Amino acid sequence: MRKGESLVAHMDWPLFVSYIVMLIIGMATVYSVAYNEDHPNIYEYSEKYGKQLVWLGISLFLGLMVFLIDSDIYRKFSVPIYVFTLFLLVIVLFTPKINGARAWLGIGTMGVQPAEFAKIGTALLLARFISTVNVKQQNIQTVLIANAIILMPMVLILLQPDAGTFVVFTSFLFVMYREGITYDPLILKLINRIPGIRFKETWVGGHFIPILFVVIILSVITLLMSNEKLEFSFLPNVKVPGFYSVVATLFLISLIFLIFLRVVSARRERGRATLVVILGFSMAAGLSSMVNYGFQGLRSHQKDRIELFLGMKEDPNGKDYNRNRAMAAVGSGGFLGKGYREASVSSVRSNHVPESETDFIFCPFAEEWGFAGTFILVALYMFMLVRIIIIAERQRAVFNRVYAYTVAMILFYHFAINIGMNIGFAPVIGIPLPFFSYGGSSMMSFSVMMFILLKLDSQRRDVLQ
Amino acid sequence: MNLDARRYVILAFILMVGVIYASRLFYMQVVDDQWVLRAQEIAEKRWEISPPRGVLFDRTGKKIVSNRTYYNLMMVEDEIEDLDTAKFAKLIGWTREEVRNRFKEIVRGEGTYYNKNTHKRTPNYQKIRAYPFMKELTLEEVARIAPHLDNFKGFHEEITSMRSYPYANGANIVGYLSEVSQEEIDEDRFYKPGNNIGKAGLERFYEKELRGRKGIRYIVTSAMNNAIESYADGKYDTSALQGPPLKLGVDILLQAYGEKLLKGKRGCIVAIEPLTGEILALVSSPSYDPNLMIGKRNISMYYPKLLLDPSTPLLPRPLASEYPPGSTFKLLNSLIALQEGVITPEFGAPCNKSVVGCHNHASAGNLADAIKHSCNPYYYAVMRRIVQQNRKKSVFADAEVGLNRWVDYMKSFGLGRKLETDITGLRPGLIPDVAFYDKWYGHHRWAFSTIRSISIGQGEVMITPLQMANIAAIIANKGWYYTPHFVKSIGSKGPLPEYRRKHFAKIDTKHYDIIIEGMRRVVYEPGGTGRRALLKDIVICGKTGTVQNPHGEDHSTFLAFAPMDKPKIAIAVFIENAKGGGGLWAAPTASLMIEKYLNRKITEKDREKTIIDAVFSYMR
Repeated sequence: MRKGESLVAHMDWPLFVSYIVMLIIGMATVYSVAYNEDHPNIYEYSEKYGKQLVWLGISLFLGLMVFLIDSDIYRKFSVPIYVFTLFLLVIVLFTPKINGARAWLGIGTMGVQPAEFAKIGTALLLARFISTVNVKQQNIQTVLIANAIILMPMVLILLQPDAGTFVVFTSFLFVMYREGITYDPLILKLINRIPGIRFKETWVGGHFIPILFVVIILSVITLLMSNEKLEFSFLPNVKVPGFYSVVATLFLISLIFLIFLRVVSARRERGRATLVVILGFSMAAGLSSMVNYGFQGLRSHQKDRIELFLGMKEDPNGKDYNRNRAMAAVGSGGFLGKGYREASVSSVRSNHVPESETDFIFCPFAEEWGFAGTFILVALYMFMLVRIIIIAERQRAVFNRVYAYTVAMILFYHFAINIGMNIGFAPVIGIPLPFFSYGGSSMMSFSVMMFILLKLDSQRRDVLQ
Repeated sequence: MNLDARRYVILAFILMVGVIYASRLFYMQVVDDQWVLRAQEIAEKRWEISPPRGVLFDRTGKKIVSNRTYYNLMMVEDEIEDLDTAKFAKLIGWTREEVRNRFKEIVRGEGTYYNKNTHKRTPNYQKIRAYPFMKELTLEEVARIAPHLDNFKGFHEEITSMRSYPYANGANIVGYLSEVSQEEIDEDRFYKPGNNIGKAGLERFYEKELRGRKGIRYIVTSAMNNAIESYADGKYDTSALQGPPLKLGVDILLQAYGEKLLKGKRGCIVAIEPLTGEILALVSSPSYDPNLMIGKRNISMYYPKLLLDPSTPLLPRPLASEYPPGSTFKLLNSLIALQEGVITPEFGAPCNKSVVGCHNHASAGNLADAIKHSCNPYYYAVMRRIVQQNRKKSVFADAEVGLNRWVDYMKSFGLGRKLETDITGLRPGLIPDVAFYDKWYGHHRWAFSTIRSISIGQGEVMITPLQMANIAAIIANKGWYYTPHFVKSIGSKGPLPEYRRKHFAKIDTKHYDIIIEGMRRVVYEPGGTGRRALLKDIVICGKTGTVQNPHGEDHSTFLAFAPMDKPKIAIAVFIENAKGGGGLWAAPTASLMIEKYLNRKITEKDREKTIIDAVFSYMR
């Protein structure tokens, strides 16, 4: 009786409601984009919305099952679950190729993608492993095991090949960062071989992952700006060519930080903080210059390839076709959109945007609802992610927290890459938009993931530290 | 190490991405409008609906140019599934080789696109688009092929409209249609590759009227170029509008009769209604059946043949052939001399054959008889009086003054320049002026005796049969004319404004009577040169001409109008290299045309038979 009470009472309603809202919007979008006048009924199983509705039902049922099972089971059975998902990833490699990848395990007419479920298995095992480690005593072995847990499914997924899901697995690096599993021991071991150097810890090793991301993002921005023809005006009549504007922006940001520090920070920390900002600025500017210099030094065909990848150049008939069409669809939405079921570019019928019901489902949504809709969607995702992190941080058990973070980061990756490729901010790699994209596997895996989190959270009080 | 603080790093990172994405979306969707345009380019297509061309009627309301439905066999490569080339070739009656070559030809015909950024050439040809595989099939042809097309996926038929000419006459008037050239496409955005455009005759001159207004439908299309629905419920669509019908002044039966008369001869007949300037018939012989020039298939088969034919059937002779006018020119010289006051109607001159050859006749004691006899020495005397008026001491300077005055009169008859007739292919003819002779002989190196052959319409003077018919109309009207034109009305509007403006020859009306009397004598008095034009119940006034030319036998010409008191038809007949002078061939031909037009029946059956049956040696 106490348990039944807690099921509802202790569930995190804001997260659950936002999840349900997303499912509804997603279902409506699939219905709109795949709408067929001959079978207008949403229950029509021959149409994609009919199938999606079935997947949705199955997902909710699975979610209910998950919710009814005692949460301890996930921790206890994390190893078998992980091994089972790895096993599926191995079998899938022996199936025939569909669309150039061995990603599908067929069950009758319905297929599932083991890679989607491998995320859950990996998340559970990583949580289990980290929860058993004493971070203070972390050593090379800890780091290597954590990495191995992530790398094994990654390698199998790369063999399919499925670049999208492969990239999503790097989201676990954020979780490791949060839990303090850093590359410090590895770096220390290397550095300390140099005679005369004896570090106990390095700042770089400890913040390896965020630094890596800052470096990647800064490099991409520099590459995008590394073009003599691009000019930006900071002040009226002052035009700054592309690359220098990046440095100038960095400088302005640093300046703002310095002013901010003078106001906020305590006096004794001021000196050190100022030093960090200046150092940070010089390193960022240095990196940016190096990337710029290196890029300009490249031969033209190498440049072309990078420019194509980043979407700076257009190759409308080639690889860039999808992005081009997708951006046109999103951009043409305007402020209020063209109206529900009025998407002219990205409906499945018009087929201008390939995969507009799966990987590019953001397109029809953006085209139909305009900025009003996309802003709400982005806000909804932000709300969900922040909520999950809040949930993560209130857990007593490390296992729960790590798991919650994996859910947050996987969702975040899907959100960032999927929407990013619709607005020209990410390369086109096919990964679904959670709760929106047509397809059973992602729908089921995200739902199961979400319900495991809700279940763990609802039982958080039962767990003793 | 404070791990708990790291949650803020992650939160900040996530929120930063969220803010950046929201800003980017705001910029793309609200601020930047390039994506709207891009989306329109992608998904909204303008569909142009070509209306049928305007049709042409003759003056009696008979449809002489109409439209007929044809079919194209279209091909979509992407939809073709294991095509059995042999079977398909058999179905359309081609060889396998021809089918294969046609595929290549279609791809090649679309050209290539050069991308400046990537320096790559890509073919314009798209596998998903429909291209005409066979064009311009008749209903019978398509009826044989269409039922079997189910077995050949990727092929379907499509309706097109093309010209048809119920009467096989007047090819040089109506002209023909052909596919637009690249220059024409560049010049006028109305045209798309594959469209037809008028290439000659009225089809070309009235192209802008006849083509009508294209209908435009804005539709939402799919990536396969299929129409999905109309854009904005058709709010911006316009409907296609057929070009207005043109009503011609041409009498198609008269035209046909003229063509029949000139069969076996090179020559022209131009008939004009003097009161209105409407062209009743414009016969060019030899001509061709306009039905040969319908559609790309026919044109590519017949056009080269017609072009290379030594008898030049494509040449609209009445407009483009410049002949010396011969003795018909004497009428104008008479009028000018009267207007200048250098002769009176009673002026007489001996037929002095030592100056210039003449045929045997009594010397003309007055102007009317001079016209009747077409006396060459008489007109030398007349022309000398026009050119050498003794206004200057030097004979050369005097000739210059005289010729200048003469040229001025000639221009007022519409000579020496292109008439503004509503057709293309007109030539100006030539009225030699002072500058011309100065260039030829040198300044002050010429006088009347140098240029005297122009007095009898030989030498440098050149005139087109259309201009000649116009002279007949001017004389019939006693001094004025409307520019000869074909189109009576465009839709419900009248003719173009330039054909509602009278032009005046610089000759007083009173001077015409004696000339007309002379022209009557040509036909009706013994000794007249045009007696073979005589009709019993219609009074014809005419003037013969026998044109010496370097290309063989003399050309036979006749200029006339009828009836004398109320002229309804002015006519010029020109028969090339006809043995026997103007009186023998051109005059009877003109009389037959006049009788046909005015009485609708022919009484002079023998005359008709002689003319029709005559086949000149150069045509055999």
